[in-house]
This record gives sequence, C-alpha cells and structure tokens, in this order.
Amino acid sequence: MDPSADEQELIRAAVGTVLQDLGIERASLIPILQGVQNRLGYLPSLAMRQVAEALQLPEVEVFGVGTFYNQFRLNPPGKHQIKVCMGTACHMMGGHIILESFERRLSILEGETTPDREYSLERVACVGCCALAPVVVVDDNVEARVSPIRVDGILLTFDIERQQEERQEKREEGREP
Amino acid sequence: MNSVSPAIEQAYQLLRAEAQQKTEILKEKPVILLGTATCGRAAGAMSVLAAFQDEIAKHQLDVVLRETGCMGHCYAEPLAAIFKKGFPPLYYGSLDEGKARRLVNDYLVNDDPCYEFAMVALEPNDFFPTFDDYPRGIYEKRIILADCGLIDPEDIDHYLARDGYSALAKALTSDPAWLIEEIKTSKLRGRGGAGFPTGIKWEACKNAHGAPKYVICNADEGDPGAFVDRALLESNPHQLLEGLAIAAYAVGAKQCYIYVRSEYPLAIKRLKTALEQSTARGLLGQNVLDSGFNLEIRLFQGSGAFVCGEETALITSIEGHAGIPNHRPPYPATAGLHGKPTVINNVKTLSYIPHIIRNGASWFTSIGTPNSPGTAVFALAGKVVSTGLAEVPMGTSLRHLIYDVGNGIKDDKKFKAVQIGGPSGGCLPESSLDLTIDFDSLQQAGAMMGSGGMVVLDEDDCMVEIARFFLDFTQKESCGKCTFCRLGTKQMLDILTGITEGRGREQDIDLLWDLAEDIKLGSLCGLGKTSPNPVLTTIRYFRPEYEAHIREGRCPALMCKSLISYHIEPDLCSKLCNVCIGSCPVEAIYTRPDMLKGIYPDKCVKCNSCMVACPPQYKAVVKLSPPAPESPVGERGSEVEQANNPDH
Amino acid sequence: MSKLITLIIDDKQVEAKEGERLLWVALDNGIYIPHLCDLRMARRTVASCRLCFVEIEGLPNPVTSCTQTVSEGMVVRTRSPRVDRLLRTGFELLLSNHRLHCAKCAKNKRCELQKIAKERGLKLKLTRLRQLVKEAQIDESPGVFCYDSSKCVLCGRCIWADQEQVKVGAIGFIRRGIGRKVATFEDGLLADSICTQCEACVKICPVGAFYLKEDERKPYKIKKEC
Repeated sequence: MDPSADEQELIRAAVGTVLQDLGIERASLIPILQGVQNRLGYLPSLAMRQVAEALQLPEVEVFGVGTFYNQFRLNPPGKHQIKVCMGTACHMMGGHIILESFERRLSILEGETTPDREYSLERVACVGCCALAPVVVVDDNVEARVSPIRVDGILLTFDIERQQEERQEKREEGREP
Repeated sequence: MNSVSPAIEQAYQLLRAEAQQKTEILKEKPVILLGTATCGRAAGAMSVLAAFQDEIAKHQLDVVLRETGCMGHCYAEPLAAIFKKGFPPLYYGSLDEGKARRLVNDYLVNDDPCYEFAMVALEPNDFFPTFDDYPRGIYEKRIILADCGLIDPEDIDHYLARDGYSALAKALTSDPAWLIEEIKTSKLRGRGGAGFPTGIKWEACKNAHGAPKYVICNADEGDPGAFVDRALLESNPHQLLEGLAIAAYAVGAKQCYIYVRSEYPLAIKRLKTALEQSTARGLLGQNVLDSGFNLEIRLFQGSGAFVCGEETALITSIEGHAGIPNHRPPYPATAGLHGKPTVINNVKTLSYIPHIIRNGASWFTSIGTPNSPGTAVFALAGKVVSTGLAEVPMGTSLRHLIYDVGNGIKDDKKFKAVQIGGPSGGCLPESSLDLTIDFDSLQQAGAMMGSGGMVVLDEDDCMVEIARFFLDFTQKESCGKCTFCRLGTKQMLDILTGITEGRGREQDIDLLWDLAEDIKLGSLCGLGKTSPNPVLTTIRYFRPEYEAHIREGRCPALMCKSLISYHIEPDLCSKLCNVCIGSCPVEAIYTRPDMLKGIYPDKCVKCNSCMVACPPQYKAVVKLSPPAPESPVGERGSEVEQANNPDH
Repeated sequence: MSKLITLIIDDKQVEAKEGERLLWVALDNGIYIPHLCDLRMARRTVASCRLCFVEIEGLPNPVTSCTQTVSEGMVVRTRSPRVDRLLRTGFELLLSNHRLHCAKCAKNKRCELQKIAKERGLKLKLTRLRQLVKEAQIDESPGVFCYDSSKCVLCGRCIWADQEQVKVGAIGFIRRGIGRKVATFEDGLLADSICTQCEACVKICPVGAFYLKEDERKPYKIKKEC
C-alpha cells in the first residue's frame, strides 16, 4: 500500500527535520532512524529510502539496520501500545499467562496490531522491574503485578474511555448543525 | 601540571561549599524523599507523590518534597524517607495515597511519626530499629548503592554536598599513570560479567597506539532479571559520570559514550539532566575544573538488542550498523570504536571508581575476597520475600544473601534453585547455597556473575522450563551471524520445547549436552559461548526433572502447561462459593448438579486464575501431572444444568 | 614486515609470510581446512561459518584458522578429536537449515558442502538434528540466474561481492537470529531492486543459493509463463 501524497509529504518533512538535526554521518544512522520513528511512529519504506540517499548508503543497509533491532517498527503501531515484559522474573511469575491473556482478549498475536489500530501487542525483554513481576507497560505506564483479571481491567478502561470520547464527539456533532 | 593543582582544588571547593550551603538550608525544613524510579512508579509512586503535594498544599506547609531514585527495597515500594527535626529519619514502605495524606496530617502537622507505617530508621535512635538491627544490615555493605534513594538524582547539589566529584578533583591533580596503578592495586574487576581486571584494561588502552581514544560506558543492561544498572542510572547518575570522567582522564580520552538501552526511558532522562548540570558547573565539557582537561560525554540509545551488551557488537552499533559482534582479538582496548583504542566498562564498574580514588585501593581490597575485592550488587527477584537490590561484600554465601538479606522464600515454599547471571548464567541447586559469591566460585559452579540478576526459584518452578525460557531468549536475541549460535540455540530450543510439551525422546538429554558443549566452544562471541549455561547447569543439577518429563510425561513442578491439567477436588469444594467461576477468563468452569464446581478440560487455558481465586479455606483447585484423562461426559453436569446456563 | 617464517602444519614444515592468515597458508600448501565464509581478498575476516577450527600447540582450545595469524615455530594440527567434533556439529547445524536435494541441485558436484562432506567423511543427511528449513523460496526474477534462500548458508560472500567488489549495494543481511537472511531492500525481488545482474554473487556463492538457470537440470524445471 503506497502512502498518499499527503502522507508522503509528511514523511519527507519528518525525515528532513531529523536529518537536519542529526547530520548525515554514517555513525548517526541509528539515532536518525530513532528520530524518524519518534516522529512517525514507525519507519515507512519511503523514509528509509530517503535516509539511505542522504547518507549515501545502499538502501538495503538501512533496511538491514531497521530490521535488526527490536525497537524499530516497519508498520504503524496501534493507538495504545501494550508491552508485556518477558524477563526471567516476569516469566516465572506468570508473564506468559499475561501475554496469552492479551492475545486472547485482543484476538491478535504478539507483534501484531488490532485491525481497528487501537492496540498493538509486543513483548519486551526486560523493563527492569523484576521485583514487581509480572509487569506490563501500557503506553508509558508500568503496571505492576498484573493478573489475567487486571488484563481485562486495563482493556476495559480503554474501552470506556473510547466510548466516552465517541459519545462526546456525537454530542458535539449534534450541537453543531 | 603541578602549578594548576591548587586551582583545581579551589574550583572544586567552591562548588562544594555552594552546594552544601544550598542543601543546608533545606535541612531546616522537614524533607520527604520519595522513590520514583521505574519500580516505584510501577507500584504507584506517582499517585503517592500527587497525594503528598496536594496535602502539603492544603496545609500550606513549608516542606521539601523531592523525587529520588531506588532505595533498593522494591518489595516495599512505593517508599519514602521523611526527615524532621527532633525525630529519627524514617523509611515508610508500601505507601498509598491514604498513608501519604496521614503522614502529612499526623506527622508533619501534628508530630506523630506514625510508627505503625514506618519500616526502618535511617540512623540509630532510641525509638525505632535500623537495618543494623536486622540480619539484612549485618550482611549488607553499601558502596555504590549507599546514596541511592537518599539524593535527588536531578539535583547535582545533593551529590556535590556529599563530597561528590571530589574524586575527580583529586584525579585531575594526579598523574594518570598513578590512577591506573591505583585501580590495578585495588584489583577491581569488571562488573559486567566475566570479571576482567579494570586496571589492566585501562593500561592496555592507555599504552595502545592511536588517537583519539574513547571510553564507553556499557549501560545496555539486557539480562532479563537484572536491574542494577537501571537503578544506579535512575538514582545516582553523577556517581557514574564522575567514574567515567576519571576513566577518560586516566586513559587519555576526550570523548566518552554512554550506551543506554532504550527500554530505560527514565534512566535516559535523568542521565541527560545530570549531564547538563555537571557541564553547567564545569565538571564536564571544556576545561574541567580549570584543569585544562576537556571531556565530552555523549548518550547513545540502544535500539533493543541484547547482543549489543557484547562489547564488539556495542561498538558496531555505535558506528551505525546492526549490532553484530566481531572476532577478538583485536580487543577494543587496542582497536575499538572507529578502530581506535577504547575502554568499555559497565555502569557498576565505573560507579566504584570515585570511591576507590577517594578512599584508596587498600580500603577497597579490605572488602570482599582476595581475588574478588569489593562488593557484589544483586537484583533479587523471583520467589524471594525481599525483592530488590542488595549489595554485599564478595565472599558472602548465597544462603546469607537469600535467607538473611532476602528474608527467605515467599509463602513458606521450598527453595529449589537460584538463577544467577541471566541467559549467560546458570541455575544452582540447594547444595550450592553455601557457596561463597565471587567471580571464580560462581564460574566453577557453572553460573556467572553476569550483570547481577538473581532470580530465586521455588518448588513450583520447572527447571526444564527455565532452561527453555533462556534458550528462547538467546535464540531470539542471537544476531544470527555465526553458525553455532544461530542454529545451535534454535536446535536446543526445539529439543527443550519438545520436552516441555511431552514430545521428548530418551536421547534428547545427551544430545542437548553434546550440542551445549559444542556451542560453548564453537560460537563467535560471548553471547553464544555462554548461551548453553542454563542448559548445562539444569541438566547437571536437575537431571531427574528432565527424565520425568521425557519418560513419564510428568512435570514435577506442575508448570509445563502441556503436561498438567486443572481439577476441582469435590471433597474440598464448597457449594456456597462461586469465586472460581467469576475468575475464569474463558468460562471453563461450570456448576455441577450437586452445586460443586467442575472444569471443562477442553475449554481450560490453564491460566491459573481459579487456583489463585479459590479461597484459602477450601484450596479445592488442584493441578495434576501427567494430565488426568478427559473427564467422562456425564460429569459435565446434567442436561438441566446446561440448559440453565445462558451460554449453551 | 613481511618476514618469512616457518611453521608446522600436520607434521609438514611450511614457509609463510609473518602475519598471514593460517587458513590461507594451509590451503596454499595443499592442506585442506573446511571453510565457507572467508575470502582471501576481503579486508576483514568475518569468522561466521565456524568450520575452519584447528588446534594450535600451546592454546587450550581449538581456534578458527581464518582469524589466526601465523608466527614462527607455530605447530598446527588440522585434525583432532575436538576439531572433528566441532566440524561435525557445525556442519550438521548448517545442513539442518539447508534444503537438501543434491541430485536436483544446480550446484551438484560443485558445492562446498559436498566438498567438506567428502574431505571429512561426513554424511549429507541429518541424523541427530531436526530439519529446520522451510520450503523452497526461489527468486527467479533475474534474467539468467536464481536466488534460493533456503539453500543459503549465510556466509556473506555474495554481499561482499555485491558491495565491495562490484559496488552495487543491492543485497545485504536483514533481520537477525534465525531470521537473518541475504535479501534486497524490503526483501523484494532482485529484478525490482538496483541489482545489475552482473552475476558476481553467482560466481562467489559456495552453495546452491545463487545459481545459473542453465545449470538447473531440465526435467525438474517447471516453467511458469503467464
């Protein structure tokens, strides 16, 4: 799926700004890709091509770096990012059960995004909160001692939030005309 | 050079005096230090912070409320220390909003220190016990953790006021050769894993030809189960910066990197603040402390690859490539970053440097064992009561660490093993508990110091599963460059998965052992070479568990999902209780005609929720291994019962 | 600088320039050491295939001969129980991820894996390990050659040829771990990439991953025309 002209413009502008800030040295490749992902949420094909051209690198080299590291995403993420910690302590305290609970509730597998782009589910090596295992990072918040019931609670909170927003929008729409 | 030394000393004294003056003023008021490191935040420290702020504002109190790092007592997070004149300084653990409000009301407003919430006193006094009154205080000796949680990591004055950066001032007035000699005499060994002598590394780099030289701090703490570096970065970043600056001066480097993993956003934020503040005070940057020494420290964020903790992979990563290790030699000390001499030290290693320079090498060697002086910092996690950070002198026994510092095993379960050193380390059994901890003893036992992760396992943990878990990790994190690691870990993982799923073959254990030995010898880098350790140690110490899986289809720890089934004991179940039904996420529990509960084995996802939910007076949910044959259909409740169930 | 030294490989006295790499010294003197990833003309050794282990007197463990430079008086053994065991395991590991169908393979009789098996008496069949390889993934888009990643042993020679020798930059390593692969940008077809179809990769590939269409045995070739 090729991005629309607007999206292309957005991507070009984002990459341009990052390149201006970080320069075009080879050693800046990883910070550049991080910067692009910070702005766009993922690494679009076009962005990788643009970076390769600016740094005078083979495109496949940039793609190789982008696919080597866990942190880089090649597809847009969901609105809410759920990262289940799979460190030793979390695993032994039931982290795999938590991951399965999310997979079951969201009907996706780890590494995937729900079709409505609301949630993406990832596993993360260790967030360093082993003493509070099992741990889940939801957006930027760390949830400690998560249980399968808490999984339902986390998702329910987002669902309620979304419903409220939708109601709010409808009300506003109703008011306008 | 000598003519400048008084200037350096003067510049430093001035900074410290200023800092002490500022912090002295604060001491007049009550002070609340709240731990808001990642672990504290996970436990709810931010809402506790908001409650403190709100309550303080309500009473219009003149109180200093500061966010600090991790005090190491993760089991009691959120945690705060409160200082008030006329009272002993006290730690309060397991805080929530209510307790925070009461502390402000009762203690700060009304002089009742709420001893019922207090955990421990920070100084000896007549009212409340200190850590020294507990076994923990006897076995613990804090050097690099000493200030963690007691200083504001985002305020350089706190560090300066406690003689921070005095070691840097001392170093800058000394000959670099003396510094290296001092570190060599201290016999400090690298805390990143293998324990290579730091002084020798520095000397090799200093003597190597080539310029510029670099010093890199390896803060890519990737061991799942270790969080010592995170705590140090979030709690006392200046201690690291000071160590890094001394290292750079000693080897003659003008540029340093700190390679932090991106999974630690708070650590990155606090490091950035610390860098800005110390540069603003002239402790880093151009002309450090008027000595003429220039130093630039850059932060480099990792992108999620465990292998980048391996030093040659870390270097390729900073150079802008995929983090793929290279053959050593050449070692980074002679040809590292951009082919130039480079010292790579771990966060913990560098954090010791200021203490050694300040107190002398002989002070350091007086702690710990002759071949591994100093302390060891461990991240205690898993089935131990007092999870968190512990710093003990090298030579302390595992038993003291787990039972006295860590307060033993949770829920009165039986100790089974302790996993030390993460994916590179191994699982040691009960018979190893009296082993004294140092680099060499752990290696001999088949484990490794690694980066200090220590996960305690109890009778409910399956040793085959833990080996499978680590192989799954290394297999996913293998860079894929060399044959043994890329394919060998995959083969071992497939065999282990087969065993945990009941497809094990009699010859699998020997095959695992042979493969493990070959991968250890044949792999290119440290990640591959150490990846078989979890397999080797679990086979060595827990072979009967492997055999039970293979021969009987039984998981002795009742952990491997394919080999267990859940049942409700009718003799223990109560007609009056429905808790398990509500707890089940997949509606696999039904009410039998006699009103007791049963589980549909085909629906059950083995999530353990019912087992946790079943009230302790019944304890009716049991796990069986090998799984019991499917219950006869008749037992699934009568037609009537099913008709009543809206889901059918 | 390039002083001549003598060393002993398998009881044979050999002369070489100091600092030369042991693997090539042995090969130049007619002593075979199995190897896949190393190239004489490449600037840097990658040491990734882990097949060229030898024992050197005075060193506790076998070392890879591609990373070892020779020195005066060095005593080398290319065979020992430990070396043979490492080679066997390394070789079997590679086979476990290599689609084995030698009889139909375009590189039959010209394959380095076959050569190693012959020289060291190893079977071209899996006995201990599980087969990991998935079905054939053949890119037939270039005019005269094909790329079959299910036969690739990840030695990286083709990438060296593409990036360093002919300086095109169409292929590189992507992903990591068991997913590591030689591929083009976004893992697309070679014909859609900047590949110039110079065939440098075909010439340098030690196995049947890059091969000429004309070498493929006719009866087994299914022609797709649409």
